[in-house]
Amino acid sequence: MKVTYNWLKDFVDIKIAPDDLAERLTMAGLEVVELEKRGSDFVFEIEVTSNRPDWLSVIGIAREVAAITKSKLINRKPGAQFKIKKAKEEKLEIRIENKKDCPLYTAKIIRGVKVGPSPEWLKSRLELVGCRSVNNIVDITNYVLFETGEPLHAFDLDRLSGYSISVRRAKAGESILTIDGEKRMLSPEILVIADERRPVAIAGIMGGKDTEVGEGTSNILLEAAVFDPVLVRRARQGLGLQSESAYRFERSVDPSVVGLASLEAAELIGKLTPGNVVLAKSAGSPRVTKKTINFDCGQAQRILGAAISPARIKAILLALGFRVNSGGKTKFSVKVPSHRRDVALAVDLIEEVARIYGYERIPPSLPSVKPQAVARSILDAVTLIKNILIGLGLNEAITYSMVERDLNSGLGPEERARAVEIRNPLSREQEVLRTGLLPSLVGCAGFNLNQKQDYVNLFEVACKFYATDKGPKEELCLGILLCGRKSLVLDQGMVKDEAGFLHLKGIAENLFSRLGIKEPAYSAEKEIIRVRVSGVEAGFMLKLSQALRERFDIKNRDVFVAEISLEKILPFLNLKRQFVAPPKYPVISRDISLLLQESLRIDEVFKAMRTAGGELLKDLKVADFYKGKQVPEGWRGLTISCIYRSDERTLTEAEVYPVHARVSAVLSEKFGAKIR
Amino acid sequence: MDINSVKAQISADLSSVNSAAQLEEFKLKHLSRKGTLSQLTAVIPTLPAEARAQFGQEVNALKNSVASLVAEKEINLTAAAGRDKAEQDYDIGMPGIAQELGRLHPITQTIDEISSIFTRMGFCIVEGPEIETEFNNFTGLNIPLEHPSRDAFDTFYLKDYEKLLLRSHTSPVQVRAMKSRKPPLAIVVPGRVYRPDAVDASHLFMFHQIEGFMVDRKITFADLKGLLELFAKAVFGSDIKMRFRPHFFPFTEPSAEVDISCIICKGTGCSVCGRKGWLEILGCGMIHPNVFRHVGIDPEKFSGFAFGMGIERIAMLKYGINDIRLFFENDLRFLKQF
Repeated sequence: MKVTYNWLKDFVDIKIAPDDLAERLTMAGLEVVELEKRGSDFVFEIEVTSNRPDWLSVIGIAREVAAITKSKLINRKPGAQFKIKKAKEEKLEIRIENKKDCPLYTAKIIRGVKVGPSPEWLKSRLELVGCRSVNNIVDITNYVLFETGEPLHAFDLDRLSGYSISVRRAKAGESILTIDGEKRMLSPEILVIADERRPVAIAGIMGGKDTEVGEGTSNILLEAAVFDPVLVRRARQGLGLQSESAYRFERSVDPSVVGLASLEAAELIGKLTPGNVVLAKSAGSPRVTKKTINFDCGQAQRILGAAISPARIKAILLALGFRVNSGGKTKFSVKVPSHRRDVALAVDLIEEVARIYGYERIPPSLPSVKPQAVARSILDAVTLIKNILIGLGLNEAITYSMVERDLNSGLGPEERARAVEIRNPLSREQEVLRTGLLPSLVGCAGFNLNQKQDYVNLFEVACKFYATDKGPKEELCLGILLCGRKSLVLDQGMVKDEAGFLHLKGIAENLFSRLGIKEPAYSAEKEIIRVRVSGVEAGFMLKLSQALRERFDIKNRDVFVAEISLEKILPFLNLKRQFVAPPKYPVISRDISLLLQESLRIDEVFKAMRTAGGELLKDLKVADFYKGKQVPEGWRGLTISCIYRSDERTLTEAEVYPVHARVSAVLSEKFGAKIR
Repeated sequence: MDINSVKAQISADLSSVNSAAQLEEFKLKHLSRKGTLSQLTAVIPTLPAEARAQFGQEVNALKNSVASLVAEKEINLTAAAGRDKAEQDYDIGMPGIAQELGRLHPITQTIDEISSIFTRMGFCIVEGPEIETEFNNFTGLNIPLEHPSRDAFDTFYLKDYEKLLLRSHTSPVQVRAMKSRKPPLAIVVPGRVYRPDAVDASHLFMFHQIEGFMVDRKITFADLKGLLELFAKAVFGSDIKMRFRPHFFPFTEPSAEVDISCIICKGTGCSVCGRKGWLEILGCGMIHPNVFRHVGIDPEKFSGFAFGMGIERIAMLKYGINDIRLFFENDLRFLKQF
């Protein structure tokens, strides 16, 4: 909302400079986002909150200026010397189909107007507030709109058919060419003003081109009315048509202003053109219920935490146009004026008092917080998980929850659930909620590889979404992506470490171990490695197929991803620890070099060795691993370190010998390994 | 041969030994079979009998002392050589070798920083779902369904689910928490929120908010001011100025927007603050009685405040980031700066 300094001065005696005024208005809740000097005037651009339609007028802001500067409002009464020169032959009937849609409709017939350019003062005021000058009649309706907040409309009377105006819902199939030159299809959800033949205006939003006031117009019908805010809002949204008029009606206008606005416009028309009002009619009578609110200064102090004197409170409310009747020293009964539809409760009045008194004058204090013992939450676990992962060198990503529809498939087990769709997506790229975290992470990898990163290691903790019989479900997940190679320059020169499945597994193992989640199992099924925790399907790992990689524009790089459902694993989280004393007795280590068939899993082999080794076999480690020329096709070479130790005594070679023999025997007997 | 001049010679020679090679030379000259000490020993038989014993003892003492000096020298030389060797083995100018530490996303770091300020004051953290009901997102928060006040909360709705939507703010968690817990309440709520906003350098359809609220018998607007002042100073520095501007939010009354003096220009006006000298950082107010009624808390007995802010905005101000989209590109060159 734009308003000028001089225009305000028509209604209030302002004793402070424009920039002071801007500051005071801002601190009273009328945020001045811009103050601009234009010629001899100043234009204030004020951000008006949606609860204050009364501030969408010069008079409304003047009222506020009077209250904050403790100045008097200049009350102008239009129509003092105004007379209707009624002619007997004039006829007009106003029909309102539904009083709820239109509680009040007034019309004035003005004959003999001369349409032409507006005088300079009128043009310049409108231009200062951002309104283009059209002609004197249209300009006057706009001028009164900005000044009073009541939208008006002038029809060319001679272009209306018949002698009646009806305010009704549009019929299916009806249409109207609006002043902006667009043909609008109408429907029964839309309220229109119609003559005997057709709709001539979309009520409260915009008039029709056919009945527009133009050069040839000499007789007009001046409309001032009240329309239902919700109806105007829906029609405005449905038609995609915004106007100064609709903006005010959907925030609701003050019915008590309608008559005054109409009079003022008629008076101005009489002043600027030779026109005469020959008929004034109205239909409907808005029920203006005057609210009364009991105000307790004690309650104000309880809410604000500041003691404002009852006298000051009363003065503020009076200045804002409230009527205050004392019911006691600190209790008032407050009558709400019709322009303050936003005020319904005592707290609304408390805000009014605080606003004008000044928020800055309320001294800050500190609340006493009663400590609450709160159980560990999922958030604590998530924080722990994130910290484990950054310790492992991964970088946290945050990606959008919405993705393109076809990105949802192909990046996980095929039994993926149905996606939840957005009814009103912004674009195709965000039309569904993602059913997994991986597409977005792969997108990030593509982006980073394009920026010539050699190594991309990312994770994200966020929800995935899917449809179930019971409705949409969100599930907290962890996504991990590894791609490319790390190069390390060590003593022996450069070492390249190419990301692979075992890197993903290493991350998972560290994570589960720190979280106290026991015995996660990893099983390869087709292209996917499934991760289970205590038998529960908890996630999967996979290598992106070439087709998928191409979709994300990733060339010549293997991409490894994992998704683990935190919702599934957190029930197994166990952060309790039982201390175990570090071993007292030394270990005896024995290495076994062997050839093992590639089809056998090392962890299975270890399991059998442990069983054979019993109590004394404390640990097994892969000490070396090789494939290549020296090893026959389908086999691999391994060195396994067996660590023996007793918790009760220092072991002797003699004791270890038979145990180690059994452990070695398992390798050849059970797995057909060739011991070397 | 004079034992004293030999002694002097040996001591002078030894002190000038600085390398293993020189030590070998020294040994050759003095300790070898034809070295000076052997020559001294060879002198013994030529001496008068009464002088032999004493001379012999002196030569022996000299031999012993030279032997221990040589041993000492050897140790010193080896240590010195060791040092040299180590210095040649690495170049301290090379990059160090370590597992590179990963980084938490700057959004996470900002959320952690803000929530920890409040948790240290006794608040607890609560989260809520991202898919919400229309009631929790709007009606329960005193936002009428068909009113212009909803325009500020443009919302993504779900297809196939009439009354479900992606929450457009974290405030629905207020409704949930106040329904499920009893006052006194001191809670902060971080999380993702969604709004169908056209994308530009400062708007996105998904971003993060953190919400805080307190409900008890004697909570005042003055308390809200004091608490937020502590908060803003903890995040932006103790020298900032702060102001509370009246504003409108359907779920609070009285409501305010909070500005801090621009952290770039210190209030003199710059491009970041739009030459105003102030930066808006959050919205707040006293919880509206209608919100209390919806969750079954008696507004006559209890009062409370609530505040909410955009995490991206705070992080952008804190780190001087000029485009909100950078947060979601996840460029490693960006992420590794934090």
